[in-house]
Amino acid sequence: DSTVGSSSDCKLCPCPEGATCAVVPKTKEVVCTNCPTGTTGKRCELCDDGFFGDPLGEKGRSRTCQACSCNNNIDPNAVGNCNRESGECLKCIYNTAGVFCDRCKEGFYGDARAANVADKCKSCSCSPYGTVDRQTTCSQVTGQCQCLPHVINRDCGACEPGFYNLQSGKGCERCNCNPIGSTN
Amino acid sequence: RPTPDPNISPLPPGSHILFTQSGKIEYVPLEGHDLKKNEAKTALHLPEKVVIGIAYDCLEKMVYWTDISTPAISKANLQGGEPVHLIKSDLGSPEGIAIDHVGRNMFWTDSMKDRIEVSSLDGSNRRVLVNTDLVNPRAILTDPTNGYIYWADWNRDSPKIEMAYMDGTNRRVLVKDDLNLPNGLTYDPRTSLLCWADAGTHKVECMNPQQGSRTQLMEGIQYPFGLTTDGKNLYYTDWMRGAVVVVDRYSRREVDEFQPQKRTRLYGITTAHASCPSGQNYCSTN
Repeated sequence: DSTVGSSSDCKLCPCPEGATCAVVPKTKEVVCTNCPTGTTGKRCELCDDGFFGDPLGEKGRSRTCQACSCNNNIDPNAVGNCNRESGECLKCIYNTAGVFCDRCKEGFYGDARAANVADKCKSCSCSPYGTVDRQTTCSQVTGQCQCLPHVINRDCGACEPGFYNLQSGKGCERCNCNPIGSTN
Repeated sequence: RPTPDPNISPLPPGSHILFTQSGKIEYVPLEGHDLKKNEAKTALHLPEKVVIGIAYDCLEKMVYWTDISTPAISKANLQGGEPVHLIKSDLGSPEGIAIDHVGRNMFWTDSMKDRIEVSSLDGSNRRVLVNTDLVNPRAILTDPTNGYIYWADWNRDSPKIEMAYMDGTNRRVLVKDDLNLPNGLTYDPRTSLLCWADAGTHKVECMNPQQGSRTQLMEGIQYPFGLTTDGKNLYYTDWMRGAVVVVDRYSRREVDEFQPQKRTRLYGITTAHASCPSGQNYCSTN
C-alpha cells in the first residue's frame, strides 16, 4: 500500500523473476499476476492446463512444467488431459487406460503405445458361448479370451476338432462318432 | 520487480466481454461495439483453478463459471463478491455453461460424464437432461425466449450441433455435415442466428435454427475455443493466437484483436450486457 507513507509501503512481489503481483482488494492477499510461461497459481507454483510438474519444488525436487505425456493417447482439443502435478493422464482415448494411457482398457487388447491408431487397442470380442463365465475381458497382450473346455481360438469362438455344441455354454462335447462309419 | 498492480477491479457499469484464462476471469469494456482494450482488467483471480466455461446473469449481475481442477461450478458478483461454490459433487469435466435468466436456471456440459445437466441458479433442483449420444459436449447456450438449449459435441467420429427444449425433450440434430471441432457456439436472439466456430474446419458459420439455411462467415481462422456475440460482432478466443478476435458479422471480416499480457490459452467467453433482453418462458412460471 503506497499510500501509508512509510519506507516499507512497497514490498517485493513474492513471485518468480519477471512476474508481477497484485493485492486482492477484499482479502489483502497477494497474488502473482504474470507468472512465467506455463506456470500459474498464487505463487506461480502450478502448471497451466495441459502441463504437469512442480515448478517451485513444493513437494520435493523441482520439476519444470512439461506437456502431458500420455503416449499420444489424448486429444489435443480436450481440456484437463492430465493432473497438473503428477502428470497422471485423465482423458485417455483410443480405448487406452492407465496412468500414462499406456495399456488397453478392460475388454480391449493390443499395444497402447503403437504408433498407428489402428494397431493400438482392439476389442476382445470374446464369444459369449465359449468363454468362462461369459467374460468380456481378455489377455491385454495376446487378446486370448479364457475358453471353456475344448473351446479354441483367440475369441473362444470354435470347438476343437472332434468336438461340437459350442452353443451349450458349458464347453464343447466330444462328437463320439463311430470310427468305422466316419470318413475321418 | 516490485510493481504492486491494482489489477483486480470491480466491473464498471456498461457492457463487457468476459473471458477466462485458466486462473482468472478478465473483462474488456465495450463502447458500442468496440473493445476498450486499454481498460481491460482482471475481474477475478482464481489462481489455483482451471476456469473453462463462463456465463453471465444479466439480472443479478453475477458471473458463473466451470472449473475442471476442483471440479466445481461457482459464481461471484463482479462488484467485489467472494466466489460461491454451487455444484461440487458428481462432476467430471464441466466445460460449457449457460444461464436462462428468465427461468433462473443454469445448464452445463460435462465431457467426462458425457451429459448435460440443469439446476437452479443456487445449485438446487439439479437434474440430468441428456446422457445419451454425447462424447465430447462442450459449448452450450440458451434461448430463453423460445425455451431452447443448444449445444455442440466435438466428438471426432461424428461432431454435431444439437438443440432441445429446456427440459431435454424434443432433442434434434441441427448440424452434422462439414463439422470437425465445433468448440464455440453463440446465439443472437434478435436475429435468431446460431453461429459456431470450428477449430477443425477453421471456419465460423451461422444458421437460423428454424429455417436451416447455413452461411459461412469466416474461413482460415486458427484455433477457436469460445465464441460470443453482441449482435453485431462475434468474439472468439483463439488458442494459437492467445487472443480474443473480433469479427464483424456483416462485413465478414476480422476487425480487431485483444491479446492479454499473460500468454496462455484463453477458454470461455461471454457478453455481459448492461441490461437483460425482455422475455418470458414456461420455466419462469413453472
